[in-house]
Amino acid sequence: MKRGWITWDENELPREAFDARLDIARRHLAERDLPALIVYTDIWRSNRVRHFCNFMPYWNRALLVIPREGAPTLLCGLSPRVYPWIRSVTILEEIRPSPNLAQQVLTMAAEKNWQRLGVLDLDQLPSDLHQQLRAGAVPVEDVSLLLPPDEWELAMYREAARMAREGIADDLSQGVGLRDHEFTGRLERKFRGAGAEDLVILLTNGKTAPMPPRGETLGQDFSIALALEYRGHWVKIARSASSRDPIPTHIHVENLSGAYPYTPSGRLELSSVLAVRYESQTGGVRRFHGDTYWTGSGGLHLL
Amino acid sequence: MAERHWDLLLLYGHTWRKDFFRCLLNLNFSGPHAVAVVFPSGEIHAILSDPWDAEMLPQGIEFTVATDVAQALAKQKGKAAGIAGMELMEARFVAAVPNAVSATFAVEELRRVKTTEEMAAMRKAAELADRGYQYFAEVVEEGMREYELVAEVEAFLKSNGAEDNFMLIASGGTEVTGMKPPTGRQMRAGDSVTTELTPQVDGYWAQICRTLVLGEPNPQQRESFAIFSEAQKAAENFLKPGVNIADVARVQNDVFRKYGYGDYTGPKYTRVRGHGLGLHCDENPYVLEDVNYTVKEGMTLIAHPNTYLPLSGYMVFGDSLAVTANSCERLNRTERKLFQK
Repeated sequence: MKRGWITWDENELPREAFDARLDIARRHLAERDLPALIVYTDIWRSNRVRHFCNFMPYWNRALLVIPREGAPTLLCGLSPRVYPWIRSVTILEEIRPSPNLAQQVLTMAAEKNWQRLGVLDLDQLPSDLHQQLRAGAVPVEDVSLLLPPDEWELAMYREAARMAREGIADDLSQGVGLRDHEFTGRLERKFRGAGAEDLVILLTNGKTAPMPPRGETLGQDFSIALALEYRGHWVKIARSASSRDPIPTHIHVENLSGAYPYTPSGRLELSSVLAVRYESQTGGVRRFHGDTYWTGSGGLHLL
Repeated sequence: MAERHWDLLLLYGHTWRKDFFRCLLNLNFSGPHAVAVVFPSGEIHAILSDPWDAEMLPQGIEFTVATDVAQALAKQKGKAAGIAGMELMEARFVAAVPNAVSATFAVEELRRVKTTEEMAAMRKAAELADRGYQYFAEVVEEGMREYELVAEVEAFLKSNGAEDNFMLIASGGTEVTGMKPPTGRQMRAGDSVTTELTPQVDGYWAQICRTLVLGEPNPQQRESFAIFSEAQKAAENFLKPGVNIADVARVQNDVFRKYGYGDYTGPKYTRVRGHGLGLHCDENPYVLEDVNYTVKEGMTLIAHPNTYLPLSGYMVFGDSLAVTANSCERLNRTERKLFQK
């Protein structure tokens, strides 16, 4: 399910975290002399807008408008009937119903007398929206912002990683002999019941890479690759039920702190949350292991 | 492709909208991106983001694993291409194939009428939706938090073979104006608990919508349900090949109008009176009075007159339907009643 329990606990993620993040965007706008920044979000690509205001759509798509001065506004494809709920889980106060997002951007720009607009990662917008914004009366400019996870965000990733790691450690050995669907269901109950927002579970008996469940009974060498979302923060871990120490033959790196929940990456990017997965092979059986790391000063830090 | 003078057809999917890719290569990729490139010879080349996804491809399909999808697509530069899912694609991907046009509507139209194999998958998904709702009604209880109920239902559906599930929920009384993801609210006696369950099996989604009352339903909840039941039945009795989808919406809304609740059939209180089902859980055509589309045999859709009424708060009721030669067939078997526990 995309997605389950969406909530905001101010003790865990204080309002000042969002103020600090918005200030970074505002400073950049001032440097570029831009009046506002537009940030895109949808059901899957929600990291960026979540970073600024904690909004994560469960359906449809939206744009966050961050003015150089003043509070951000959400232009939203969802019905006004759910705006009270959106306000309860975000820092947002102004939400504008926007069946046509590009048109609403232009309306707002006219109201505020904005002559130019910045768009975060303009060429990564869905092509229909990109085309509509480019064709509008207000020129749009690409804005690339480095948004390295701050301490609050790292704490959220750390909690997600703890939840994933401890949950798998408790249940891994109990998977042997179960059908893969059954084991998946057991983990869904456990993690969602503990407050996880979403899960993606891949399993293998060692003849293939981890894949979505397909009705196999899990043997003693099975491996699991789990992606878990906790309050908008995705982590990945992989484990093998086998007690053998993995000697990696293949290593794969994904960036978890970019626009998407996870994107394959060709390198160890700095100041990023990365999922690193290893494959080892013994006697024709492939085993998988992996964790989520922060690439801060001094190298890789296990989250 | 020949009629449209396309050198290529690209079927694009990302992690949430896999449907255009899966209509040709039905694999549940991790993503975030996947593109099937179809050549006039019938040869297919897959561009995938994750090397693990490549191991799910049928034998004989050539593939590229690309960290940079735009770069992989740029190899097709200069060719006339149709792209199904073009609107979902990042602008930089589309820019890599400068002579491309959207093939989204054309491919959606092909997908609308289901093959025998697709209909079999829809039936499996509908059967799982029925079992899922039965489980939902068994486990829901006073004091349970909404997200705990969702965890139980997700566990049941995944244990029984669902690839995924789209689910919304609400609980409460007349203050409830719509469904959304679960909250930490604890359910109480007298609550209406509404849900739409949409399990996905072999790529195909089927949906069921039901309302359950914790305790004895009050007269207003019963009166409200009678209206929803009559509206849904009106759609089911009307649906057949050749009718306009606008009229499938109209016959439902007319029931609300007859009882003086016509105001509650508009966008202020509701979204759609139903929608297509298949490889996406919310396909075109939307069942709305301003959508013009002629229904065809073999289409699958849900008719659900879900809306807010002041009698009961937000209420839902609907079944997945398959359009047959002369009428339609209900794919769900769950009893059509206001559930209570």
